Amino acid sequence: MERLPQLDLEIRSLRKRYGSFTAVDGVSLEVGKGQFVCLLGPSGCGKTTTLRCVAGLEEPDDGDILIGGREVTRDPPWQRDIAMMFQDFALFPHMTVAKQVGFGLEMLGKPRADIAKRVAEVLAAFEITQLADRKPTSLSGGQRQRVALARAMITEPRILLLDEPIGALDYSLRETVMIELKQLQQRSGISFIWVTHDQNEAFSLGDHVVVMNHARIEQQGAPEDILQRPRTPFVAGFVQGNNSFFGKVAQADGGMLRIEGAAGSFLVPGGGRAIGSAASFSIRAERMGPAGPQHENRLSVRCVTVEYFGSIRRYILERAGGSVLKLDQFGAEPAWLRTGETAEIGWATADCVLHDAEGAAAPELVAA
Amino acid sequence: MSTIRARSPAAYWLALPATLWMMAAVVVPVGMIVWVSFWGGRAFSPDSPLTFDNYNRFFANRTYLGLVLETLRHTATMMAICGVLGYAIAYFLVVKVRSARWRTVLFLAFVIPFWTSALIRAIAWVPFLGVNGVINQMLLATGLAEKPVEVFLYSRTGISMAQVSLYTLMASGPVVYMLAQIPPALREAAMTLKAPPVTVFRRVIFPLTLPGVVIGQVLVFLNVMADFATVQTIGGNKIALLPNLVINFYEGAQHRAAAVVAVLLMLCMLAGVAAALRVVDIRRLGAT
Amino acid sequence: MDGSTYSRGLEAPKRKPLLDHRQRSRLTAWVLGTLTVLFLLYQWLPIFTLSLLSFSGPTGGTTFPMNGVSLHWYRELWDASIMNDFKPPLGRSFVLALACAVTVCILSVASAQAMRGRFRGHNLFFYLILLGIMAPGLLVGFGFALLCRILGIETAWNTTAYLVHVSWALPFGFLTMLAIFNRFDPKLEEAALTLGANRWTAFRRITLPIVMPGVIGSLLFGFSLSYDEFARSMFTTGADITLPLAVMAQLDRQLTPELYAIGAATTFTSLLAIIGCSFALWGLRRAR
Repeated sequence: MERLPQLDLEIRSLRKRYGSFTAVDGVSLEVGKGQFVCLLGPSGCGKTTTLRCVAGLEEPDDGDILIGGREVTRDPPWQRDIAMMFQDFALFPHMTVAKQVGFGLEMLGKPRADIAKRVAEVLAAFEITQLADRKPTSLSGGQRQRVALARAMITEPRILLLDEPIGALDYSLRETVMIELKQLQQRSGISFIWVTHDQNEAFSLGDHVVVMNHARIEQQGAPEDILQRPRTPFVAGFVQGNNSFFGKVAQADGGMLRIEGAAGSFLVPGGGRAIGSAASFSIRAERMGPAGPQHENRLSVRCVTVEYFGSIRRYILERAGGSVLKLDQFGAEPAWLRTGETAEIGWATADCVLHDAEGAAAPELVAA
Repeated sequence: MSTIRARSPAAYWLALPATLWMMAAVVVPVGMIVWVSFWGGRAFSPDSPLTFDNYNRFFANRTYLGLVLETLRHTATMMAICGVLGYAIAYFLVVKVRSARWRTVLFLAFVIPFWTSALIRAIAWVPFLGVNGVINQMLLATGLAEKPVEVFLYSRTGISMAQVSLYTLMASGPVVYMLAQIPPALREAAMTLKAPPVTVFRRVIFPLTLPGVVIGQVLVFLNVMADFATVQTIGGNKIALLPNLVINFYEGAQHRAAAVVAVLLMLCMLAGVAAALRVVDIRRLGAT
Repeated sequence: MDGSTYSRGLEAPKRKPLLDHRQRSRLTAWVLGTLTVLFLLYQWLPIFTLSLLSFSGPTGGTTFPMNGVSLHWYRELWDASIMNDFKPPLGRSFVLALACAVTVCILSVASAQAMRGRFRGHNLFFYLILLGIMAPGLLVGFGFALLCRILGIETAWNTTAYLVHVSWALPFGFLTMLAIFNRFDPKLEEAALTLGANRWTAFRRITLPIVMPGVIGSLLFGFSLSYDEFARSMFTTGADITLPLAVMAQLDRQLTPELYAIGAATTFTSLLAIIGCSFALWGLRRAR
């Protein structure tokens, strides 16, 4: 079988169990040359275990891992063309920054003079030359992050694995670091696999985002794809700004479904579903608005509270049945609802996103 | 804010009893030894003139000098054996034992004898080491020896065997502590940086446990240097090392001679501790 | 990060090594594990042998064969003649150890609490107490004997020996308390203080119950270290001797299974004490 040479990483139905707990259950993933991939999911979803399997720090029970087309599933970490950045950076406390950054080259058996020269270059590139002789304990969080990154990237691995790499940083620092990392990734052409539970990180950085839950991949694709077209209730709920509705298919014709639930009866584009089968769909908060003639779907709500973020204004709304919805409006526009007021909201059928059949059978058939 | 304010007078009052106690029971007595070792004349009296006579007398005797070297050599041997053995055990317990329950069981089996009397443990070696002792019986039974080996009881070998069982824990304990402090991510980071296990150990794990190794070595050094009880129990009166000389002089009411030996012992120890501190800054242990 | 010509050097090894990395890791584990288990046997075997031989018959010697099984040597211990009666020394050792445990416990808590106050000179104070571990019993005991002689103080088990024993066990209790306080969250105290408790009440009601494991640990150290102490006692106990001294005196006279009986009995007592304290700690943890 011809293997595609441009793939940096290929994971085929990876499985890993710890006793009776399944950490990774049939995960498959392809990473093209120089891609920035984010594994996103709540804690315990298996994203870190997947990453550690790629690094060789965990041995999978089943499945294959190919790095640069070479099968490495059973290879130890030191024989894989990867580098890793750890959550707390895992800097060696007894080594100076220069020693630390040169460690990887030393392990590759490079001549001493070459290492010194290369370390100097890399320290300069990361703007940490003045830290060369310091030990990690005397560094700030941001400085440690740079050292860890320099240490990982100096050997120019095919793939850089990052396990919550900016989670240990101050909030104020993260934005800047993210931009720097993205630029660095694009310049270096090294594939990044970035594990995070923070969707802001995942969607602003990743070329390709993989949403995981309960040891499985729920959905993967470009950020836009996942944000605009969540394929499962989990993704719709996990990703910010979606309102999900659950119900049963009451009518199906002409590429249109009528789904009835506790919240009401709504039209959703889609087909191929049996009448009476459970179905769910979601609609983004910014696609809803005060009910107008262009809206095929309507709902009466009461405003619980209004959150103002500057660029948007978010209304937290309560349906008569008790479930809560979110509705976003441009921040520059005047507010049209105040806390305690009731209103009728609506949305266009074309903006509804029908979820995949499996997983739609939620316990409560109400809007969530 | 806590139940004690920083630099409050209460802290001084709380520290005072222990300070006085340690001064009276440790610092002043040790100072006494130094003082008495310089006493000239023949009477045991604080009015004695201060001279080097006692030291001159000691250094004039070649047997005693030989004993100093003998003691140092014996101590170095013990440090090496206990150090290697202690490190291996610590490494196994912390790194290689996966099950927490087994680790606890093995660790307890390792530590519990420390809470029992060292004297009794030394005596317990006697039935093992004699001409008709357990070891000889085993050697004869397995045919490894044709007649009883006499090198165990009343010998340096026997003393060493007992001391290894007494002091390996001291070499091991600090290493266990340091090993347990190392975050697993450090080992993993080294591996992803292409270091194979032996290199990970040599470049990351061992350097990080070095303070523990040094402290363990200091503990073994100090204890073996001053251990006259095991030597007396197993060596009988046939074997004597420097600390036994202190006892012998003391029991012969030669206090000044005993003080000289004690001071030499103390100097050896101080030199050893100073050397250890040059390798590792013990004060910065908590920082890693 | 660009323009480099470094080859990765990560091609799969050409020649397959004899063992792959997993097998090598397992081999290391087995070697170290075997070594550990052998050492544990080596450490425990004499203690078991001693206990076993203490049950030998009246004609039993100090080594194998046992010549029958009996409680003869324990009875001998009980109906001892005045010469080798272990009961009074045992009583003294026990009382001394209890007194030492209580004193060490109080001083440890006070000293550790003082350390939290970070008073000027707290580092020096720390090293002063640590000196109690570093200074060998031989030197402390001998120095103290000299001090007593110079000052004309009569040594006795319940005065001078007590003083010195506490100085030996105090550092252990102190370090235990420091370790516990290190993990203690002072915010709990702050909460109590903001709720209107004064410092003493906050300490008694909040701090003390939380650091109780350390308090029990310091009691255990105080008891067992005093109970087993030999070197310091030798110089500071006077005519009414403690148990380890009595054991050593008997060993000097003659080695009989009676000595094994006393050894087995004291070891057993120590083990009971450890188990008791462990249960106390366990109970404490469960009570929370």
